[in-house]
Amino acid sequence: MNDREIVLSGKELHKSFGPKENRRHILKGVSFELYSGEILGIVGESGSGKSTLLKLICGIEKPDSGELIHRGKEYTGIGPEKTGKFLQMIFQDAYGSFDPRMSMEKSLKEGVGVSEEEMVKVIEEVGLTKDLLSRRPRHLSGGQCQRMSVARALLGQADILMCDEVTSALDVTSQAQVVKMIEDVRNKEDVSILFVSHDLALVSNLCDRVMVIKEGEVVDYGETKTVINNPTSEYTKKLLDSVIDI
Amino acid sequence: MSKRKKRQKIKIIIATIFALIVVVVGALANFIAPHDPNATNAMLMRKAPSAEYLFGTDNMGRCVLSRVLDGARITLASTFLLVAISFLVGIIIGMLCGYYGGIVDTILMRIADLMLAFPQMVVAIAVAGILGGGIFGAMIALGITMWTGFARLARSHTLSIKNEPYITAAKLNGKNGMQIIFGHIFPNIVENVLVNALTQIGTTMIGLAGLSFLGLGVTAPQAEWGSMISEGRAYLQLAPWVVIFPAIAIIITIIIFNYLGDVVMEYRRMD
Amino acid sequence: MSETVLEIKDLSVRYEDCDVEDLQVMDVSFEMKKGEILCIVGESGSGKSTLIKAIHGMDRTRVVNGTIEAFGKDMSGLSKKDRRTLMGTDIGLIPQNPYSSFNPIRRYEVQFKEALSAQKMEYDKEKILSVFEKIGLHDGERILKCRPYELSGGMNQRIAIAVAFLFEPDLLMCDEPTSALDVTTAGMVVDELVKMKEEQNTAILMVTHHLGIAARMADHIGIMKNGRMIEYGPAKQILKNPQEEYSRKLMEDVPRLKR
Repeated sequence: MNDREIVLSGKELHKSFGPKENRRHILKGVSFELYSGEILGIVGESGSGKSTLLKLICGIEKPDSGELIHRGKEYTGIGPEKTGKFLQMIFQDAYGSFDPRMSMEKSLKEGVGVSEEEMVKVIEEVGLTKDLLSRRPRHLSGGQCQRMSVARALLGQADILMCDEVTSALDVTSQAQVVKMIEDVRNKEDVSILFVSHDLALVSNLCDRVMVIKEGEVVDYGETKTVINNPTSEYTKKLLDSVIDI
Repeated sequence: MSKRKKRQKIKIIIATIFALIVVVVGALANFIAPHDPNATNAMLMRKAPSAEYLFGTDNMGRCVLSRVLDGARITLASTFLLVAISFLVGIIIGMLCGYYGGIVDTILMRIADLMLAFPQMVVAIAVAGILGGGIFGAMIALGITMWTGFARLARSHTLSIKNEPYITAAKLNGKNGMQIIFGHIFPNIVENVLVNALTQIGTTMIGLAGLSFLGLGVTAPQAEWGSMISEGRAYLQLAPWVVIFPAIAIIITIIIFNYLGDVVMEYRRMD
Repeated sequence: MSETVLEIKDLSVRYEDCDVEDLQVMDVSFEMKKGEILCIVGESGSGKSTLIKAIHGMDRTRVVNGTIEAFGKDMSGLSKKDRRTLMGTDIGLIPQNPYSSFNPIRRYEVQFKEALSAQKMEYDKEKILSVFEKIGLHDGERILKCRPYELSGGMNQRIAIAVAFLFEPDLLMCDEPTSALDVTTAGMVVDELVKMKEEQNTAILMVTHHLGIAARMADHIGIMKNGRMIEYGPAKQILKNPQEEYSRKLMEDVPRLKR
């Protein structure tokens, strides 16, 4: 991995919320690197701070301290209007990620300078047909909607995709399809992917490297195989035990 | 669609038809009216309803029917104008406060709280008194408290959707605050606030008629339901029709618009 | 062990406000005995949740054809009142959304008291705490003082199971009880349901899209697709040797830990 370029990195990120007397420290010094073309899994239970980490990365929240770097350039403290140029997000709530009153076509065209051909090409790439473009989000299935949001992210010309629990609201069948599509996208396009999930089984299939977060701290970080076969923390072991398998 | 929803839809259609009839009558008042509403005739003072003067005549021999129709015009026009302006001001302030928050939000919402602390009519009477009567004075007097209701509603709806993923997605697509407010938030909350505006129409009519009754609304000789009742009150026993017909007009109009507001609200709650 | 709890015969169901043609469940038959766990697996839209709603007799479902017999009684013949009594004491339901089981802003203590007195049962704190302990909710005293919105989804779902434990229903129906939870908590909930079956001999009818969950707990598995039960049999047999192509595909979709 060392010969590859680091696309995105975070250094010692801290974040806390709440009033002074009752301040909750959500992130306690998280550092990570995302190499170009890789899928990095971020695993943790709800409340572990993984969603906050994504919010910091895309600039919705500002870190209390620490640095965020994109291709060698620091961008800490820059809002989502600017970070959107190099990173796009795919959300857990597929339906909620589209304006309920807009057709898919209108939502997809929201980004600047999207041409008709480009849109159709991307739609086919995520395994959908262009006749779905005239529909509103609630007339699509959860899986279709999630593919649409991947399509929108790809149209944004970003080189980083951030997936926030994108499969946890889907049934296993659509989940498998969406995961496969994400793999395809990674192989075809020049993107790096941050894949946040609570499902270690899913992550073990998809991700090159994985980072396990517990209560705002990194407890395991490395090649997926290494982490899964030789977890260093008790917490990762517990997560591995709870994997539901056939 | 379930049967209950269908039934509710029929109710809405019926209420809308009645409301439209009222609006059309008001709009065409000058054409329908059999006489000039302001033409006095000393020969026809306080004549009881007849074929020529369906609603009778008042103290100055003016045709009550024509005056009720002319009153409809002014009442409806000023009510709609007032509700529309309050609605626009309220929804814009509400969205800005909800979306940006911060110190401006705090100040504006405290002002809104202050307005809500007094009964609307008391504030209106005080303000109309200061402004010295006239229909525009009355409208300002009522509008000064009315926008706060719309602003609060718009603000709370904005707060509830501003953290939806599609707003974040729009931000990541380079949209700025104004583009998001008018492109995403406005279309998604306008319906809710509009329904609220519909229910305000009845209240506003009562308010305007009330101010006119107190002499703080339209100036003579302009006909207006509230001021007609106020004038006719003096000779109520001699010519009750001068009071009864505008009163019936007020009641019917308010019932129609309140009913319309209620059925639309109920329909939306069924989803 | 052989007592039949639930018997479904040739059941077809549609939603009240949909077209007559549009059946959500078609010709489904199965039988459940005491102390048996039946998992019904299918994609969203396969009709599996509608099946539970129909058995529960929820307002919007309409049985077009077939019979539902619980404890030897034909459910469609029961009055609303009888049905409700049966639902409280003999049949329990754990819904998908853990927050919908309770009033979010009232303390559990009050809600437990009300629920118990509605079923003419004593409010016995010691008993409740011991049930909590049994399913791994160690801080029972504190939980009773909490309001549902203050706790996580996983906690609420486990408390819903605790309620089911208290009432000791003979049949417990679960509509995707784990899909709103993260994997670790989902595992715990599954284990607690199995414990309930072992201790109280409860029959559990569980609907899920996750064949992995079925594999972990079921005695029998039914696979539903487009409203039909396309495969039904003992869990081991279905997992080892599925007859249908579709069942095989469902199995492949379950993410497996890659070592």
